[in-house]
Amino acid sequence: MVQLLSPEGDFSVPKQYAEYGKYIERLNEDDFLKFYRDMARCRRFDNEATALQRQGQLGLWIPAIGQEAAQIGSGYGVGKNDHIFPSYREHGVAITHGIELMSILKMLRGVNHGGWNPEETRFHLYAIVLGSQVLHATGYAMGVKFDGKVATAIKDENLAVITYFGDGATAEGDVSEALLFAANTQSPLVFFCQNNQWAISSPTTSQTRVPLYERGAGFGVPGIRIDGNDVLASYAVTAKHMDDAREGAGPSLIEALTYRIGAHTTSDDPTKYRTDEEVAYWTARDPLKRFEIFLRRQGISDDFFDEVAEAGEKLAAEIREATFALKTPEIEDMFKHVYSEPHPVIDEQLDWLKRYEASFGGEN
Amino acid sequence: MSKIAYFNLPDVGEGLTEAEIVSWKVKPGDTVTVNQVIVEIETAKSLVELPCPFAGVISELMAAEGDTVEVGKPIISATVADDAVGATVAQAETAAAVHQAVADVAASSAAAEERTPNLVGYGVADPNGPVRRKRAATPVSTNTSAITAIPAAAAAAGHLAVPTHPDTQVLAKPPIRKLAADLGVDLGKVTPTGLNGDITREDVMGMAQQASVFRNLSTPAAPTAREERIPVKGVRKAIANAMVSSAFTAPHVSIFVDVDATRTMEYVKRLKASTDFAGTKVTPLLIMAKAMMWAVRRNPMVNATFTAEEIIVHNFVNFGIAAATPRGLIVPNIKDADKMSMLELAQAIEQLAATAREGKTTPADMKDGTITITNIGVFGVDTGTPILNPGEVAIVALGSLRPKPWVVNNEIQVRQVTTIGATFDHRVVDGDVASRFVQDVASVIEEPALLLD
Amino acid sequence: MGNFVEMPIAKAINAGLRKALSEDSKVLIFGQDVAQLGGVFRVTEGIHAEFGDSRIFNSPIAESGIVGTAIGLAMRGYRPVAEIQFEGFIFPAFDQITTQLAKMQNRSEGHHPMPVVIRVPFGGGIGAVEHHSESPEAYFAHTPGLRVVSPSNPNDAYWMIQQAIRSTDPVLFFEPKRRYWQKGQVNLDTPPQDLHSARVLREGTDVTIATYGPMVHTSLQAAEVAATEGVSIEVIDLRSISPIDFPTIIESVKKTGRLITVSEAPNSFSIASELSARITEECFYHLQAPVLRVGGFDIPYPAAKLEEVYLPDADRILEAVDRSRAY
Repeated sequence: MVQLLSPEGDFSVPKQYAEYGKYIERLNEDDFLKFYRDMARCRRFDNEATALQRQGQLGLWIPAIGQEAAQIGSGYGVGKNDHIFPSYREHGVAITHGIELMSILKMLRGVNHGGWNPEETRFHLYAIVLGSQVLHATGYAMGVKFDGKVATAIKDENLAVITYFGDGATAEGDVSEALLFAANTQSPLVFFCQNNQWAISSPTTSQTRVPLYERGAGFGVPGIRIDGNDVLASYAVTAKHMDDAREGAGPSLIEALTYRIGAHTTSDDPTKYRTDEEVAYWTARDPLKRFEIFLRRQGISDDFFDEVAEAGEKLAAEIREATFALKTPEIEDMFKHVYSEPHPVIDEQLDWLKRYEASFGGEN
Repeated sequence: MSKIAYFNLPDVGEGLTEAEIVSWKVKPGDTVTVNQVIVEIETAKSLVELPCPFAGVISELMAAEGDTVEVGKPIISATVADDAVGATVAQAETAAAVHQAVADVAASSAAAEERTPNLVGYGVADPNGPVRRKRAATPVSTNTSAITAIPAAAAAAGHLAVPTHPDTQVLAKPPIRKLAADLGVDLGKVTPTGLNGDITREDVMGMAQQASVFRNLSTPAAPTAREERIPVKGVRKAIANAMVSSAFTAPHVSIFVDVDATRTMEYVKRLKASTDFAGTKVTPLLIMAKAMMWAVRRNPMVNATFTAEEIIVHNFVNFGIAAATPRGLIVPNIKDADKMSMLELAQAIEQLAATAREGKTTPADMKDGTITITNIGVFGVDTGTPILNPGEVAIVALGSLRPKPWVVNNEIQVRQVTTIGATFDHRVVDGDVASRFVQDVASVIEEPALLLD
Repeated sequence: MGNFVEMPIAKAINAGLRKALSEDSKVLIFGQDVAQLGGVFRVTEGIHAEFGDSRIFNSPIAESGIVGTAIGLAMRGYRPVAEIQFEGFIFPAFDQITTQLAKMQNRSEGHHPMPVVIRVPFGGGIGAVEHHSESPEAYFAHTPGLRVVSPSNPNDAYWMIQQAIRSTDPVLFFEPKRRYWQKGQVNLDTPPQDLHSARVLREGTDVTIATYGPMVHTSLQAAEVAATEGVSIEVIDLRSISPIDFPTIIESVKKTGRLITVSEAPNSFSIASELSARITEECFYHLQAPVLRVGGFDIPYPAAKLEEVYLPDADRILEAVDRSRAY
């Protein structure tokens, strides 16, 4: 397992991971501070969203608490042309690619199904059907290869694709089929599996008999395991694998071992299937905690951490206000974009619904 | 400035309807901050801590530990800043008014347009029961095809625009088509009055013809010759002589009564539908015949013959039916019609008409009639003053049956109305007898059940 | 004016695919055995030799993968024409078709058009084993976001496959496999037409038959027999199963007053049921008889020895015509 930053905050690059160490060498202090800020931002946003759900403002919230390092680190390892196919918990990756946090909340409030522009942001919409996005990512990567945007001399134009999915999703047939297609076509795709050890109430041991980083071997997709709570390892390993894919190395798999500190969603009750001891064990391995220790050892002072905490409160207040101000969508919205070309049934039914709604409000 | 804010119990688990208050973490008077945990609740799925949606001072805990509260009901109130964001907020008022406001919030959720449902799960059903939103216009057409698109004006007027039909198809709902088929009505000849340009039940009923022994005649072409001379001989001569002898021998007096024949029409319909009468023509004429014979029993003088020496009152009825044939008017009669059952009479009438159409009526058929009916209604004529058949002292004219306004139970209704006209020989039948006879016939037409007597 | 050539439906689709490949460099064809073999029905015969691996290639035996990667390719700007080898094997891809392909445009608020065509041979009458003779079109017609079409003759097959490829919406293209080798005149110069228009193939005055795919031929045969008995049947080829061209059918039913639907699929919960419901609503005052559905029975498609009893034929259609006229 690739680990560059221990839970105690010690940084060291084992010899066999020297190539990953090189990626850390290229980072400067600003990069480190950026990593921390975004992890903190992600955490604060997540906690506020849970509170909003408990206050009846969101139908559902999907916490990513505990997985910030895997997401922020890998998110920053993605190249400037690369495309990302997430599942539904990658709020940290969204932050690294400038997705408006309110966009995510709009989805959970029921205003729309996502709403951000996947082409512009290169961060595709959340996928609720487990594993479905992995096939889309594979098709996209195949297309990139057909376009000839892999391993060309013009480095700036090359691109690769990364897709995120959890340990539970690896059981879905679509993930296996995607590994097969990607390997057959040697497409530029990194399969990033966040193993947060729980799929609602099912532990990883019920989803696989073999460590998940070995899953791809059967299909011809080499894999590696990283410490998902180590933001530096997450960054370095992802960045290298994306670079390799862009250079024509074909698909690869990264298993980020982390832990889902929160519940599956706000409808879930983890106390029914796991122990407080286990949660405590992993809480002690909090990705923010260890990185804070690391940063303080680098000389970063209280001022920075206070500023981050304050920014977090400000963010939370903004999110609250924006959430309460969200309006119900227009009736027309649900008829839009069902088809891109004109369709008689859509026109007829929207027309009928408008007349129906207009028929109310008279005197009896 | 401050106001009272309420926190309504949210649906925390995608479709929950209620939760139990397990323990309060605050009490009235406590200052609370946003997201401070204020209560622990237990739902069907799990134990959940609820964070406070606003900052302020707790006013009231609106449910006790151990209470089960429905989703959407307020559980806590607090005084908050005027610009505080969050949950249901109402103006600060006296305690009683506040409670009323809370009750109103719950009760008004059904009618108010701005009812904000709890998100996934939408809380519990309105305690007042289901309500319907008030409609302004008549039902929106389900008709969504482009071909019969509703022009805005017609839609506003509350009914569908009448579609134009380049084709010759008549419009009628399936049940109406069946009715028309049963009644022998040609839909192509019916004027539709339905809102959609379709033929209605009333349209069909109005066109339903009585038993017709007569063929409809069409307008012939204008003759080219200036005159046509028809010799008076044979049947025409005999008719002429009979008419003269009748009209100028017997003093004719005619009386009329309008009657609501709706029940007769319904009775005719039921007879038609009955298996006994399958294959047999049933028309209002049949009921009229029966009515006349019933009235004859009660007023025997109308079923008689006048001779110079004596008036012969017949204790049988040879029931004559005036029939128009290509050769002229004849009056064959059904011998001993009063002894026949309804079915036998119907069959005899049908037979008589068929025979007359074929021109096969014999002189014997036409002799010894005792009372006659003439059906002028088939021509669309309301009533008339028929001439007595020689040897008889009464003749009844059955006029057309039309829907007309009538007073029923002090209300105007549309009923099938007909005029019964009758002519009598005043040498034999006095005014009172004539009137009673006609009234008796009318009574049966109005209430066929009298025939059960 | 036209450039007419006689060819069977399989070759007409082949010609249409070649034209589409030549006109748009983003068109890709893939599926099981479509390349060197030319497809198990030879519909893509010769295309690989002409266009090569970069335009037409074989897929692993993974239907969900075929459709899922088609979605990704469409996001990347390609126009994938995916083949599912037999309609009986479309079900592993059902999730990707209904939860992903059908909804992607709506979910992405138009940022991801889905110009994907899924070609599927369907229908029975070829004496095959299980899963090779079904008519599952209703599952897809019932899914908002998809378009479903089926050509009944070579000329329609030729221009409809091209039009389906040009569409930016996902199209299920059901090919009547028992008619693959039925020849007809194809106008190679057919201009682009409305993919969702029905066509009156035979005019009549007494009864309207609305049908599609393999049953069009059977319905025309029934109409010929009926004519010898003095009954005039109007036969309409839907061509588009979703959306249905209702104005054409309504105009016909207003003339005849009687509608019969003919399809191989089981009658219950079918395209036929949709026609019946909608025509009853739209033509209520014109109907002389209820809409009658001629279709398969509500049983799994039977073993081949019984399929001729299962499938509607001219007699079954004429029985319905008699019943309709008896009202």
